[in-house]
Amino acid sequence: MAHKYDTSDFRNGLKIVIDGNPYIMTYFQFVKPGKGTAFTRTKLKNMITGSVLERTYRTGEKVEAADIEDHTMQFLYEDGEFHHFMNTETFEQVAIPSDGIKDEAAYLTESLEVDVLFFNGRPISVQLPNFIVDVIEYCEPGVRGNTATGATKPATLACGATVQVPLFVEQGETIKVDTRTNAYASRVK
Amino acid sequence: MPPLPSGSPVADAALDAARLRSRARILRAIRRWFDDHGYLEVHTPALVPAGALEPHLEAVQVGPLQLHTSPEFAMKRVLAAGLGRIYQIGPCFREEEAGVHHSREFTMLEWYRAGAGTPELMDEVEALIGAAAKAVGRATPRFVRRSVASLLPHSLDPDEWFFRWVDAVEPTLTAPTIVFDYPDWQAALARRRGHNADRFEVYLGGVELANAFAEELSSVELRRRIQHNNATRRQAGRPPHPVDDRFLAAVDRMPRAAGIALGIDRLVMVLTGATELSQVQVR
Repeated sequence: MAHKYDTSDFRNGLKIVIDGNPYIMTYFQFVKPGKGTAFTRTKLKNMITGSVLERTYRTGEKVEAADIEDHTMQFLYEDGEFHHFMNTETFEQVAIPSDGIKDEAAYLTESLEVDVLFFNGRPISVQLPNFIVDVIEYCEPGVRGNTATGATKPATLACGATVQVPLFVEQGETIKVDTRTNAYASRVK
Repeated sequence: MPPLPSGSPVADAALDAARLRSRARILRAIRRWFDDHGYLEVHTPALVPAGALEPHLEAVQVGPLQLHTSPEFAMKRVLAAGLGRIYQIGPCFREEEAGVHHSREFTMLEWYRAGAGTPELMDEVEALIGAAAKAVGRATPRFVRRSVASLLPHSLDPDEWFFRWVDAVEPTLTAPTIVFDYPDWQAALARRRGHNADRFEVYLGGVELANAFAEELSSVELRRRIQHNNATRRQAGRPPHPVDDRFLAAVDRMPRAAGIALGIDRLVMVLTGATELSQVQVR
């Protein structure tokens, strides 16, 4: 019997099964119409296809927990359809459909170590390190004397990802980025 | 008071000073609006013998007393005493309610107008929200008015009705909307008219802001509804709500009236572009 969660267990990042597919909860909201009982409104991302589902649950309703395992693996290459990874201990290689990891793919560089997620033994997705450090390959030059707080400009990293950085950050500098939010964290000397 | 230096051990990162200023501006505009429209501000106790009436509302218990879930019962006693235009702004409490748009303690604005029905209150709530919006430099929202039956059939069973409301209807109410004529089984303290309860709710920014009734004026009818609610609660394993006899006695002396309750925190949240109540409250 699979493990179940009920609505009081709901939180961002919860992994559940709907119609045989694994979903990760990206949003949940307590809702209570004036004269009625309480519900929880959720947004769930399909961990294989990346598509987003909106679902409403009655308070106390149960959902099936997804059996997700993760293994640390190295990114090898992508062939247009799949991203390939290798377990550095067993040298086992796995391929994940590229469609399901569009958000993560921008940060994948050769030999980057990531957690590959397996659903019922099948590789479906990757979890990036929370922070990565990379060189800015291109951005507009900073404007001297512009000290406006909060102003940003786009910067393209060597890995291919584009992030917003403060105006004082220059091309060629190395920065730290939070991969969960695509947010600039700091400069790295 | 001068602002606290950043990094000071007493600085509270969770507090949004700009939004708290907007909140004060909105409250000032609301009080001015009521003043301009002949309303009297009243205060009724938060600690009461009977704090809730509806089957799905839970009062916070304080010894033998409860904190009110709305000031409705006491304000109707004031109405029955002959004050025909009254309002109150103050804290209300609802147990088991927590989320981005709910908190156990929140600020409610409630007002009652003798001689009025729901159409007059629709006009008033639109004007009041317009005044609040203006106070923080926002455009006046233009409301559309939709009957509940045009959104969801009254004939659904209650459990299914609420599920479909939350799942399918509410997410479509993104434009400023007044929704009126609810199914009669959702009358609460509103009077019934055919298969409709003469009530409306106000949605702004997709959030339910306010709930209004044309008030039921028969204590016999209300006592029957309270007994029915309490039977429902017992079946669900919930304790029955205490009955406020002073309130029921006042109902029979009440003039024809309409009343409305509006969540101040939610109004401030929407008007300041916040997405969670915690951004506009001191917690």
